[in-house]
Amino acid sequence: MPETIEIQLKKGVLGLCVLALLARADSYAYEIASRLSDAIDMGEGTIYPLMRRMQSEGLVETYLVESSAGPSRKYYRLSDAGRSALAVQTADWKTFTNAVDAVLVDPAPTPSVPAPVTTGDDQ
Amino acid sequence: MTRADFLARLKRGLVGLPTSTAAEILNDYEAHFDDGAEAGRSEAEVASALGDPDRLARELKAEAGIKRWRQEQNPSAAAAAVFAVLGLGALDILILLPMLMGVIGTVFGFGVAVIALFFSGGVVMVAGPFAGFPGGGVAAFLAGLGLMAAAVFFGALLAVFTIWLVNGLVWFARLHYRLLKPALDSYASNPVPGDPA
Repeated sequence: MPETIEIQLKKGVLGLCVLALLARADSYAYEIASRLSDAIDMGEGTIYPLMRRMQSEGLVETYLVESSAGPSRKYYRLSDAGRSALAVQTADWKTFTNAVDAVLVDPAPTPSVPAPVTTGDDQ
Repeated sequence: MTRADFLARLKRGLVGLPTSTAAEILNDYEAHFDDGAEAGRSEAEVASALGDPDRLARELKAEAGIKRWRQEQNPSAAAAAVFAVLGLGALDILILLPMLMGVIGTVFGFGVAVIALFFSGGVVMVAGPFAGFPGGGVAAFLAGLGLMAAAVFFGALLAVFTIWLVNGLVWFARLHYRLLKPALDSYASNPVPGDPA
């Protein structure tokens, strides 16, 4: 089931992606959802449970912005805790992907284990 | 599914949450439909992009229950969190429920014992001096006081254990649910139309 691992990965990084988007600019849920559903193909509805969780964990804060048409809109911005969570998770993500890349991309350099290959006896 | 259908199903699923929380959540989704309409998408498109309202409601409810448990660590919040988490269907209830019932029963039994010990301590303390307690009145008074103190001690210990238990359950269910359940659900419901490869 390759799809399963793909979905698990997406689910896991969704929070990180939201933090990264909000670090660039404050945003509202619809915008975040459509950006992310385009980019990583997630159901848009999952953004709301996620935003509520991040809000209750103190990673994001909300404020209302008057809109010219219709009711005012709820914007999210990163809190200081959110900013440090982003830094930590980004570092984790880089370490993780580098480690996986090292295994996937470049199997050529022989690992340090096979020492007995040395041909000292033949000489 | 129309906007009204989606919101009605979501609302039905959110029954049991404080009305202000439920209203807040519904507002979020209504705003989502508004924004979708502004971007030129039909109600059906927006609804299908949002996903299954029943599942979203369960997830939102569990999130709210966990949040309340974090804020106020009291028995009713604990019960709400446990039921919300169980409502996710995250735990294999058939396996876990008998175990959980055993643990909850034990905790409850200890709770009753602690309360009984406290009151019997009170009785010994008050009535002992007049009922010919071996060792005399002062000894009875002190023995009663000692029993009550022991009851308070065990009660506190029990409270700490219960809090730890609920936290552990929430942690486990969340881990289980976040990692496994969504993956299995979406695998079962949309078997990935046309792999790009």
